[in-house]
Amino acid sequence: MRGVRLGLPIFLGYVPVGAAFGVIATTIGFSALQAVVCSATALAGAGQFIALNLMKEGAGVVAVVAATTVVNLRYVLFGATLSPHLKGMPLASQALLAFTLTDETFAVNVSDRRTGASSGASMAGVGAIAWTGWVAGTAAGALAASLIGDPSRWGVDFAMPAMFTALLIALAEDRKQMVVAACAALLAVGLPALASVGIAIPSSWLIVIASMGAATLGAVVLR
Amino acid sequence: MSSSYIWAVVAFMAVANYAVRFPPIAIVSRLRLPEQVVRWLSYVPAAVMGSLVAGEVLRPAGEYLLTLRNPYLLAAVPTAFIYHRTRSFLGATVAGMLIFVGIRALLG
Repeated sequence: MRGVRLGLPIFLGYVPVGAAFGVIATTIGFSALQAVVCSATALAGAGQFIALNLMKEGAGVVAVVAATTVVNLRYVLFGATLSPHLKGMPLASQALLAFTLTDETFAVNVSDRRTGASSGASMAGVGAIAWTGWVAGTAAGALAASLIGDPSRWGVDFAMPAMFTALLIALAEDRKQMVVAACAALLAVGLPALASVGIAIPSSWLIVIASMGAATLGAVVLR
Repeated sequence: MSSSYIWAVVAFMAVANYAVRFPPIAIVSRLRLPEQVVRWLSYVPAAVMGSLVAGEVLRPAGEYLLTLRNPYLLAAVPTAFIYHRTRSFLGATVAGMLIFVGIRALLG
């Protein structure tokens, strides 16, 4: 129950964004069932929106799946980061927890972990409520696309940035973490500018490159 | 767009997204990591959030928006402040969305 309470803001942020996914998916040709199954099994946030974009342009299955996977490569980092806390947890529980690993559940669990009160059960609660919000939002969007209209009217565009901003403040708790976060921010905004000198970094790799670069800087320079 | 094409994408996306999530947890949690690696990993959460926020706020929709008429930037500052003061994800997220809608309306 503690986990459900911790995950409630994620639920609240996921419902509108999930609804936006449902609306757009059904607009480009998904059935409501396909949209809901996609959200329920992939739980891939940005990766799902990128998939819709590519599908609309007629990309092949392999290209679509490759793009969403690269966008979500940061989950590899998340899994590795969480794993020292999950030592001794049975493989089956880890398998369930992995299923609901997203930016938001990761950040909430890591920051809760630092308070010392986090447990396997609270992590499961965070994951369950987040998954429910994403799937329920998608269903609402897919079934009521015509009623909802343009989702951006409701401030949905800022649901994820607002959540990320709060999570950033929660995680950048001491000076070293702040320096690393600032470096990552500089890299994420600065690297795309290299396109003007002929170094084009695919946008799907940006987050992975910027965060690995900044974490390396932190580990080597700040120790 | 054919139904079988959509189902194929849905199925492979499910497999691919699980493949980046589960193996790192299953494998790394069974290893003894060197101290340097643990330290590196401790910086990953803040680094990921820093790059996500910067990208979403300063390059919304993948285009630079480095002006003071950027509603994402104008809404992110009070959102950060509200979270800092209240320590409530829920409050900060909801307030942030409302502030964003208000600022966007003001900017026209």
